Amino acid sequence: MDMLDFFPSSILQAADTSWQTVTIAQRASSAFRDHDLSGTIGYLLLGLLFTAGLLTVLGLVLIYAERKLAGHFQCRLGPMRVGWHGILQSAADGLKLLLKEDIVPENADKLLHLGAPVLSLMATVLTLAILPLSPTLQVVDLNIGVIYVTAVTSLGVLAILIAGWSSNNKWSLLGAMRAGAQIISYELSATLSLLVMVLLSGSLQLSEIIQSQSDGWWIWKSHLVGVIAFVTFLISTTAELNRTPFDLPEGESELTGGFHTEYSGLRFAFFFLAEFVNMFVASALIVTLFFGGWMPFYIGGWDGFNSIMGLIPPGIWFAGKSAFFIFLLMWFRWTFPRLRIDQLMSLEWKILLPVGFINIFLAALIVLFEWHF
Amino acid sequence: MGFVNFESAKESSMDFGGLPVEVVEAPRGAPSNTVLGTLPNIRKVLFSLFKGMSITLRYLLHPSTVVTQQYPENRNELKMFDRYRARLKFTYNEAREHHCTGCLICEMVCPNASIIIHNRKGPVTGKKEIDHFLWRWDICTFCNACVVACPHNALEMTGNFESAVYDRRLLIYNLNAYAGPPANALKKIEDPEERKKAMEARDVYCEFTPMAGASLPGIAPLAEKKEQD
Repeated sequence: MDMLDFFPSSILQAADTSWQTVTIAQRASSAFRDHDLSGTIGYLLLGLLFTAGLLTVLGLVLIYAERKLAGHFQCRLGPMRVGWHGILQSAADGLKLLLKEDIVPENADKLLHLGAPVLSLMATVLTLAILPLSPTLQVVDLNIGVIYVTAVTSLGVLAILIAGWSSNNKWSLLGAMRAGAQIISYELSATLSLLVMVLLSGSLQLSEIIQSQSDGWWIWKSHLVGVIAFVTFLISTTAELNRTPFDLPEGESELTGGFHTEYSGLRFAFFFLAEFVNMFVASALIVTLFFGGWMPFYIGGWDGFNSIMGLIPPGIWFAGKSAFFIFLLMWFRWTFPRLRIDQLMSLEWKILLPVGFINIFLAALIVLFEWHF
Repeated sequence: MGFVNFESAKESSMDFGGLPVEVVEAPRGAPSNTVLGTLPNIRKVLFSLFKGMSITLRYLLHPSTVVTQQYPENRNELKMFDRYRARLKFTYNEAREHHCTGCLICEMVCPNASIIIHNRKGPVTGKKEIDHFLWRWDICTFCNACVVACPHNALEMTGNFESAVYDRRLLIYNLNAYAGPPANALKKIEDPEERKKAMEARDVYCEFTPMAGASLPGIAPLAEKKEQD
């Protein structure tokens, strides 16, 4: 491939570090093989605690960050009263939501109304378990990680549809129907972008996808294909998260809150938490697929620079990268106006989907002729 | 995606209630379904998205753009806008002399009778002068009509908005600090002792206000204070 020599493949080459991944599940099973029962139970509990802790911390931090950023994006200050610069605001809000009366509409389908928020949160928690936050900080490393993520996040749509239906309210149902239509549509182009990365890395396992980027992140390595896949994935995940400019299911001005109109107290908190943690999941996926996961940022040839970058632990790299994408999503939310439903649909079916199909074809060609670095 | 076609826009003038109004009629451009026709639109969209994002980023990075006032904390430094209309006040010159002649124009112009003026015959000058200028903060609509109507600029609206009280009667104010002739009438009295005699002190809550004689915790009307002395 002489035509590609103007961009030497070594420029974004990583230093020769091989990453050994050990997940919590692997530790538990090896302890079980050694007939170490307390170790097995300990590692399983650690996995549970890790997921629960991650959920709580993300909920608290992201809600505070969102409110603070929203304030400053709009020339306001955001929360300022509870604690230093309102740092305890989300804890106070959580406590308030816990103590609030749990109102269930009289004609609501009680069981489904109860189940929907739980299902919504469950879909989120299940994805948290397989996210590779660092070589050692991952609960399970499924060999079909990408398929698992796509399947489990789709449960969220079901939760929203159930919530809208069981509320027995026009607004809720309309919001839920919009959410269903939107998420199912955008799932297509999101999956097409995921498939591009699967093609390039040759694996469905998330840690394998990260390992395949040890000689440079896919966003640099895969020519334009990776960039297009990244942009489509960013747009379609924003739509799947029901965030502005695609927040039609919530549509405060039209639907008074959409599918969670009839929810209050802890159940509303569940939806809220799921929404915010989903944002982290989306950012973590973008980082894993396109930006090298927990791989440090290396520049080929710059040994001094690389060794300094290598000193930063991989967990921090992952957190920093996903924080950037969370910031980007929040930036989108507080800048763009909401789309109309027909604009939303035409964006997906007329633009993103054809682009995605062409892109996956190009990616297949690139992989077939090994044009990528 | 039909976009407004400004090139074939027609400008004309239209009569609107006796006033000529410029009208621009711009037809919607033909919807461009071709890929090449959509490209300029995509470029336009991307440009406007980046423009919006740069504006919000500027707001985020420059805390000086924040307009929020941390009210109870910055109560001492809080500066209200000049055009803010809350508490009505008499204007005074350096010698604390008001400019009200008691002409009743503000009382007449007040749309909901929140100004009640009591005049009297001056004990020193023997001419009509202001005795009590009552203003009801509880029913005032802050329409500014009294300030505009006053021929002597004796009234002004101030930014003091803190009107919360436990008794509605406390919002009925006596605005003049003294009963007596206005500043330019006082100028004619040359003896400073005579001038002082012509100015009879008035409290915010005195005689004609419902608080006269009544006592609420923290409120001591002038009449009561005198008795105590």
